Amino acid sequence: MSLWSRIGNVFRGDKVNREIAEELESHVEEAIAAGRDPQEARRALGSVMRQRETSHAIRVAGWLEGFLQDTAYGVRSMLRSKALTAVALLSLALGIGANTAIFSLLDAVLLRMLPVKEPQRLMLLGKGEDNGISDSYAGDTDLYSYPFYREFQKQNSVFADTAAIVSMLNDIHGFIGNDNASVPMNVQMISGTYFSTLGVEAQIGRVLTDADDNSEGDHPVAVVSNAWWKRALGKDPAVLGRTLKIGDTIFTIVGVAPAEFFGTAVGQAPDVWVPTAMMKSIPPHWEGYKDNFAESLYIIGRLKPGVTQEEATANVNVLFKQIRRGFTDRKPTQRDLTILNNAHVPLTPMATGVSRLRQQFSEPLKLLMGIVALVLLIACTNIANLLLARATARARELAVRQALGAQRGRIVRQLLTESLILSLTGGALGIAFAMGASRLLLRMVSSGPEVTPLNVGLNTTVLLFTFGITVATALLFGTIPAFRATRVELVETLKEGRGMVKGGTKNLLARAMVVLQVALSLVLVVGASLFLRSLINLTNVDTGFNRENVLRLNIDPSSVGYKGDEPRLTSLYQEIEARVSALPGVHAASFSAFVFHEGSWNGSVSVPGMPVNYDVDVRHNVIGNGFFATMQIQLVSGRAFGPQDTATSQKVAIISERMAKTLFPPGSPVGKVYNMGGADRLVVGIAKDVRSADLDEQDDAVDYVPYTQREDYESDFSVRYSGDFHGVADAVQKTIHSVDRSLPITDVTTLDEVVARSVTNQRVVAQLSIFFGGLAVFLSCIGIYGLMSYIVSQRTNEIGIRMALGAAQSNVRWLVMREIAVMVFFGIAIGVPVTLAGGRLVTHMLFGLQDKDPVSIAVAVGVLLLVGLVAGYFPARRASKVDPMVALRYE
Amino acid sequence: MAKTKTDSLQGSLDLLVLKILSRRPRLHGYAIMAAIADLSEEELRAEEGSLYPALYRMEEAGWIRAEWIKKENGRRARIYELTTAGKKQLGAEESRWQAISTAINRVLREA
Repeated sequence: MSLWSRIGNVFRGDKVNREIAEELESHVEEAIAAGRDPQEARRALGSVMRQRETSHAIRVAGWLEGFLQDTAYGVRSMLRSKALTAVALLSLALGIGANTAIFSLLDAVLLRMLPVKEPQRLMLLGKGEDNGISDSYAGDTDLYSYPFYREFQKQNSVFADTAAIVSMLNDIHGFIGNDNASVPMNVQMISGTYFSTLGVEAQIGRVLTDADDNSEGDHPVAVVSNAWWKRALGKDPAVLGRTLKIGDTIFTIVGVAPAEFFGTAVGQAPDVWVPTAMMKSIPPHWEGYKDNFAESLYIIGRLKPGVTQEEATANVNVLFKQIRRGFTDRKPTQRDLTILNNAHVPLTPMATGVSRLRQQFSEPLKLLMGIVALVLLIACTNIANLLLARATARARELAVRQALGAQRGRIVRQLLTESLILSLTGGALGIAFAMGASRLLLRMVSSGPEVTPLNVGLNTTVLLFTFGITVATALLFGTIPAFRATRVELVETLKEGRGMVKGGTKNLLARAMVVLQVALSLVLVVGASLFLRSLINLTNVDTGFNRENVLRLNIDPSSVGYKGDEPRLTSLYQEIEARVSALPGVHAASFSAFVFHEGSWNGSVSVPGMPVNYDVDVRHNVIGNGFFATMQIQLVSGRAFGPQDTATSQKVAIISERMAKTLFPPGSPVGKVYNMGGADRLVVGIAKDVRSADLDEQDDAVDYVPYTQREDYESDFSVRYSGDFHGVADAVQKTIHSVDRSLPITDVTTLDEVVARSVTNQRVVAQLSIFFGGLAVFLSCIGIYGLMSYIVSQRTNEIGIRMALGAAQSNVRWLVMREIAVMVFFGIAIGVPVTLAGGRLVTHMLFGLQDKDPVSIAVAVGVLLLVGLVAGYFPARRASKVDPMVALRYE
Repeated sequence: MAKTKTDSLQGSLDLLVLKILSRRPRLHGYAIMAAIADLSEEELRAEEGSLYPALYRMEEAGWIRAEWIKKENGRRARIYELTTAGKKQLGAEESRWQAISTAINRVLREA
């Protein structure tokens, strides 16, 4: 009989039994026909009926039937102890769900392959860590100029295809067709070979080709992303030939990219791809197409078949130097040549794309993954303990079953089935929980106003992961109780009933697991405390400016026709500053190139009488006259900028104290002249140091120049106000639109919020580690409570005797509390050294404190002692309330 | 009718069933039982309690296959016949039996 028919027979159980009966009935008939006595014939068959179990077992797949029976039995028995089941399921769902959610994000950020052809053959020149525009001679091996790319494409012998990608996404506004209202769009500029190198075909129309990129300004064509086609173009089937007005140029849409394609940077989602040949047309109108030293591109290549990464690296480095030396339009300094000779371009596999998101998140994500894995381990030990207790309580039932002939394997299987049901249900709940949680997580880690475009949905990898941990969980917490429960001395157990407990050696395993829980919880609580204290230290950092009561927003004049070098831009800023400053509730307002935690414009400066210090990159900021008043940055000496500083007057600058100290000769720098970006500037004031990029960085050397003397897009607008934020925000936006109705305004928020966003990572880590630390403590609490309740009920008899012999209630309470104290102390004794050893792993993620932080360890020890006390109180009280008479009759 | 209680069939029931089915295919359980009694001149008797589990076991092992047929009285009967694997098994069992009985006979003679 085939396996399938036996499996089938499981579900036809009744039919199989009927068939056996029918066959035997026909047998009796024959016997009677052959002249046997009917009664005798039936009696003879009695033995057959007794064998029906055997006959049945042969005709059906026993293990499967057993599984179904076990399942039904397991579900029934779990429904009987609802509280236990609920706690077990909840901790499993949270444990598995948290693991799945964090893993989904980890998968999306770190692991997932780009949805392109053979992504593992793609290589990136450099490390992809820098982005922006550099003009160094050879100092940057991540960014390249367009002419360099073209030379490299021509000369290299290791890549089948190469492509260039502008390292920044142009976050601008454009117009669809003849619309009057602008829409935001993320424009990605790419070389024409981009799509063919990746092996990505258009879903509608065509992708860009090398021909679209071969002469500057001549190819106003665009490919739009599938998501943007749906969102902004209403999924128009006749999208080909529709136009986009970006800057002053009309682009024609020639294709729509496939839905799964999001470009090559994880966590970015370009809406529109245009060729680099159109660079000058796209705001803010960079000119880099023909400039040998305007380095803003990433270069990627697809390895030729058979070429290894080492061979490719060798070829790339030869070409890197050769091509740079071939650019003779800039005379390199001795320093430039030394840098070029020592430069090495590493190749980075591009299979999972480039991502700054990855640099930012890979460490916190791995840390969180570790934390949730520990939480899951605690949940598992908890459930193991609960099941162990239950199995021990069922020892008599299991012994009876074994005595009646149940096979040991069968009982192990039943207990394992029960834990499998538990963990599969927990896993299913965990997935449901994870789907919500991963989206919440994504919103939590998105530092901008918009959610980072990442697909954190369930995929095969994630599902396999979850299924894996679910089954591992079942095995982890199901096996031990199952084998323990069947390794009973039958006779002993049957005789003993639930009588005496021999000393403290029993439940050793369960105790060990509680000790483990306490130790793990300690680690997690210390971690939570460290990250929380680190976050508090960060938010208490003196930024040098007053982050309260400042509104900030961005305007985008570049998208609506303002050119960067026009005096009209300066008038626009001045007009807006003047009108907004006059609003009620507004104290000061100013444009600036940067405020806090944004990009930067930096470089070395030269101070007469001092050697050029190349190690100090001065951060330049371009500001309005009201900037210091708005930010409340103190001037230490000299003056702020005023109406006297105009495009034609003496070029001036204000420098930070740090810059004064590190780059200027002793004595006050006010009144001295230095060279910055090719222009001599007179120092007119010294400002207090401020944090510019991050709260945890040292104060940079900063200098400020007035925008009147350097025309460009200064899109940050800050307003110091008092009163209601929303009222002021409305008034400010109306005022800006009264100056120019078409100006796009984005990201209206407070400076406080901007500062808070800059520590998103640290905040998320602190929040989640507190949440999971709390969860771990809660689970341990349940673990201790469950074990002690069980031990107390097991020892009711003994306690009764002790009390009958005169033990006081307090003695009995101490009896129970002592056991807990021992377990908690052991847990702490193990946990503290583990914490101290593990602390080294996170020390660089902490700010303003050491990983061996006595406060955090003291807090954690205190929390766990408290937990032991709380969890032990109820079992101890119950023990002390035992009535000796009842206890002695308990048997 | 010899009333010998024959647990001696233990171990050789399979052989007998296979042999009978090889000579007379398509028998139902009762007919197999009757044939064993008949051919052994009532010396051997297969109990129902051993026969049917043995039949199911051999069916599971793939040595015999079963099929339901209609009897004249309209009831159904389950009849059995040998499979190719069963024929092979029969050969094996027969030679095993021969070897054992020769060996036992030798012991009985020499002892």
